[in-house]
Amino acid sequence: MLTFTRRRLAAVAVVAVTALLGTTGCGGGDEATADGPVTLTVDVFGQFGYADLYQEYMASHPDVKIVERGTGSNLDEYSPKLTQWLAAGKGAGDVVAIEEGLLVEYKADPQNFVNLLDHGAADLKGNFLDWKWNQGLTADGKQLIGLGTDVGGMAMCYRKDLFAKAGLPTDREAVSGLWPTWQDYIKVGEQFTAKKTGASFLDAATNTFNTILLQTAGNSSGYSYYDTGNNLVVGSNPAVKQAYDTTMDIIDSGLSGKYGSWSEEWVSAFKQSKFATIACPAWMTGVIEGNAGPGAKGKWDIAQIPGDGGNWGGSFLAVPKQSKHQAEAIELAKFLTSAKGQIGAFKLKGPLPSSPQALADPAILDSKNAYFSEAPVGKIFAEGAKNLKPVYMGPKNQAVRTEVENAVRTVELGKRSPQQGWTDAVSNAEKAAAK
Amino acid sequence: MAVQLDARPPVAPAPRHSRPLRGARLSRFDTKYSPYLYIAPFFLLFGVFGAYPLAYTFWVSLHDWDLLGAEHPFIGLDNYSQLLADPDFWHSVVNTLGIFVISTVPQLLAALWLANLLNRRLRARTTWRMAVLVPNVTSTAAVAIVFAVLFGRDFGMINWLLDHVGISAIDWKANRFAAWVAISTMVDWRWTGYNALIFLAAMQAIPRDLYESAAIDGAGRARQFWSITVPLLKPTIVFAVIISTIGGLQLFTEPRMFNSGTNAIRGGPLRESQTVTMYMFENAFAPHYNFGYGSAIAWLLFALIAVVAAINVLFLRRLGGGSRKEVSR
Amino acid sequence: MTRLWSASRLTYLALALSALLSVFPIYWMFVVASRTSDAMGQVPPPLTPGGNLGANIARLFDNTDAYFLTGLINSAIVAVTVTFSVVLFSTLAGFAFAKLRFRGRNALLLAIVATMMVPTQLGVIPLYLLMTKLNWNDRLPAVIVPALVTGFGVFMMRQYAGQAVSSELIEAARMDGCNTARIYWNVVLPALRPAAAVLGLLTFMTTWNDFLWPYAVLNDPENPTVQLSLRALSDGYYQDMSQVFTGTAIATLPLLLVFVLFGRQIIGGIMEGAVKA
Repeated sequence: MLTFTRRRLAAVAVVAVTALLGTTGCGGGDEATADGPVTLTVDVFGQFGYADLYQEYMASHPDVKIVERGTGSNLDEYSPKLTQWLAAGKGAGDVVAIEEGLLVEYKADPQNFVNLLDHGAADLKGNFLDWKWNQGLTADGKQLIGLGTDVGGMAMCYRKDLFAKAGLPTDREAVSGLWPTWQDYIKVGEQFTAKKTGASFLDAATNTFNTILLQTAGNSSGYSYYDTGNNLVVGSNPAVKQAYDTTMDIIDSGLSGKYGSWSEEWVSAFKQSKFATIACPAWMTGVIEGNAGPGAKGKWDIAQIPGDGGNWGGSFLAVPKQSKHQAEAIELAKFLTSAKGQIGAFKLKGPLPSSPQALADPAILDSKNAYFSEAPVGKIFAEGAKNLKPVYMGPKNQAVRTEVENAVRTVELGKRSPQQGWTDAVSNAEKAAAK
Repeated sequence: MAVQLDARPPVAPAPRHSRPLRGARLSRFDTKYSPYLYIAPFFLLFGVFGAYPLAYTFWVSLHDWDLLGAEHPFIGLDNYSQLLADPDFWHSVVNTLGIFVISTVPQLLAALWLANLLNRRLRARTTWRMAVLVPNVTSTAAVAIVFAVLFGRDFGMINWLLDHVGISAIDWKANRFAAWVAISTMVDWRWTGYNALIFLAAMQAIPRDLYESAAIDGAGRARQFWSITVPLLKPTIVFAVIISTIGGLQLFTEPRMFNSGTNAIRGGPLRESQTVTMYMFENAFAPHYNFGYGSAIAWLLFALIAVVAAINVLFLRRLGGGSRKEVSR
Repeated sequence: MTRLWSASRLTYLALALSALLSVFPIYWMFVVASRTSDAMGQVPPPLTPGGNLGANIARLFDNTDAYFLTGLINSAIVAVTVTFSVVLFSTLAGFAFAKLRFRGRNALLLAIVATMMVPTQLGVIPLYLLMTKLNWNDRLPAVIVPALVTGFGVFMMRQYAGQAVSSELIEAARMDGCNTARIYWNVVLPALRPAAAVLGLLTFMTTWNDFLWPYAVLNDPENPTVQLSLRALSDGYYQDMSQVFTGTAIATLPLLLVFVLFGRQIIGGIMEGAVKA
């Protein structure tokens, strides 16, 4: 216990001194000198699973020190900060993560970022799924803003114990067979609800809505709120309305536990086993494990998503022009997004690779997730990933999505009729897009 | 608030004769100018970090000032006219006023009552005072997190207690009025004890013989309280109301932390508990970064505070006017 | 002074009830902090402490995402610096306003009183722009420097100095050849000490609690104040509520400590301020 305390004291002293000197807050690693080691700051949100990779990289590059910031933070918190740093011309890390839904927004100011094509990135094209590579390019194709990290292939996570309680099959193949379509999913939900297990069938309608939307859009027009000409099409794109209507069916059937996503209630509902299924992009497995805690290990499993495929989320690594160590930062970004880097990240925290080589690698294909009843997550996600149909996202995608999902939420809470909700969604989205 | 600007005569420098010339000049310089040196830090720092930002807020509000934009064209009062027609802004104004009213009124009444209890011969006097003041010294953000959990829809202790008396679960966050009540509870929890101590101090300054002569006239305790204590407390009550107005209309931490999850800054999907300061923050910072619009909100909020404070003072003047004569009788 | 009304049993009962309401949320915070995260959402809610506090604290400090330790240290640095500065500048200016004669004194004092009425947090936008210019964004000076003086502090010290500092003593010191700075140090400051201590305590607590401005200007997740660490903990990608509550408890602890040690003085200060203002 003594050493523990002493180490802590030492840590206090070190942090106090650095804080006093004001060096911790400068980002950009500008405290490094020409002959000293270079400190590279990597800005992320959520869990990118890079910890082990950093160690490896620093071991082979003794002159580089890597610091990651923002681990575990919410995307809603992270992206505004990045915007502020870019606008201020300082503060951003040397390597920054950009989520696909926000990429278009950042692409509008390509001068903020290093053109990776000028630094030999063109040779890496084959390391990424085609659409993932293309997403990182500006509209004219002349600048590469970011290298792809992960993709968000989708599945449905479910509670085996609750399914058993409701007399439903628990085996993942059998469960997948229960819901080829979303209407089937609703039927299963109704059976589940009728058994009164004390749990709802799903957590909340909002996440499910986004899942259905990305799936529907991917399988039809290839865009959701904005068309590829960056025109707002919330009200006219049939994919949006179709996803909305399916979600309304789910709400009407009383399947939702109405736990606001990412809220304390939602977290508690995980803890107290208050819902049985949750739409589950690859990165969500880490969230479930974190929220439900060690007590629920082995109670969760993973089945196919109803409907057909779909991609939600996935990010890119970019190097801001304001970085003082661009060359080193580019090299690090290349390393982290290489097939090897993507496999390493997957092993640690589960984000699904966007590199075809990584997706075909036995390290992925054979991987199982102990928390999810040893489900072959690699296989489940990787098989779908190669056939993913990407969805184009426009400049104010995040703001528009917020409005539409808020409208879904008001219907879910019984504050609006589905019809009113739809009117709100369209008009509020237009307002947000104009701001 | 009665500010006595000249409580005590200042000390005039004593006339000096027997000092060497140089010392006298130094000391004359000292007495004449050193006071400015002592007050300079306040005015310098406040000028740069207090007054200048406020004035500059107005300047910014006259521009189309986007954080990301390279240029900030002058647009006159456009931000203001847009704001006056913005239903979300008025929605936040109503929220703020609603929370203000349902927090301040019970809070001040409870504080009066509490002060009245504390103003008795009590055992362990300081302990009681500390007990009612302790909410005021806790960390606002920390307590807001605790209250957000207590007011949970499915897992909150308050709904659990209500369930025992046959009231079905209230969705404190999704129901606008319920959200106001929950946030007001947080505010009252923090400030009632503080105000009670302020009232207590004022009560202790009331001469006892007023009560004694009233008692001789046959006035009961309750009557004494309303016809002597409350009227004489009026300046203090006005002070407390103004402080509550300034703080209450700027409410931010409590409602911000009460909402968690996606877009907490909006105070819920229908902006159920978004206050004006939150709306300012939403527009000026994430996600919109419209500094011009945000600055216009700041100024309108400032105006709102001034108006509400003035109304409060007028209202309280009128309210107490009748009973004062009774006291001085 | 004649006798106060005596307290009946009912008085004590009512007071006890109020005290219970006051203390309960704080108590419950420590209850949850001392349990495992399964306590969240349990029905009936747990009301007694568990044995998991040590483990929660260890996990909280090991949680590399929240920078809780940095937050604590930063808040301590900010609160202590601001407290010293506010006390120093307030006693200086308060002394000048109460005891020295100079041109424009009343007008300047009125100006200070007026600043107390102005909601300064409405200036966050230009302040933010200013900090960007000064290159203080994401760094502690951004939250320290604007808080170095308060109108409230000056006014409070001025009111107190008016009655607590004896004019005769000042005069006597002058006769002895003391200059004004010596008088401040040797005569005024000792006399102001009780009130200055209260001002210091109040300033410390306010600064420790500050949220809006740090939230706007400190964006570096690695360099938060403790309140921002709490927000990061409670808004994270996933949450461990026992850890969040442990964080709230630890963030509250310094304030409670100050309160337990100096509660009497703080109460005295608040009550005296009320009568004079």
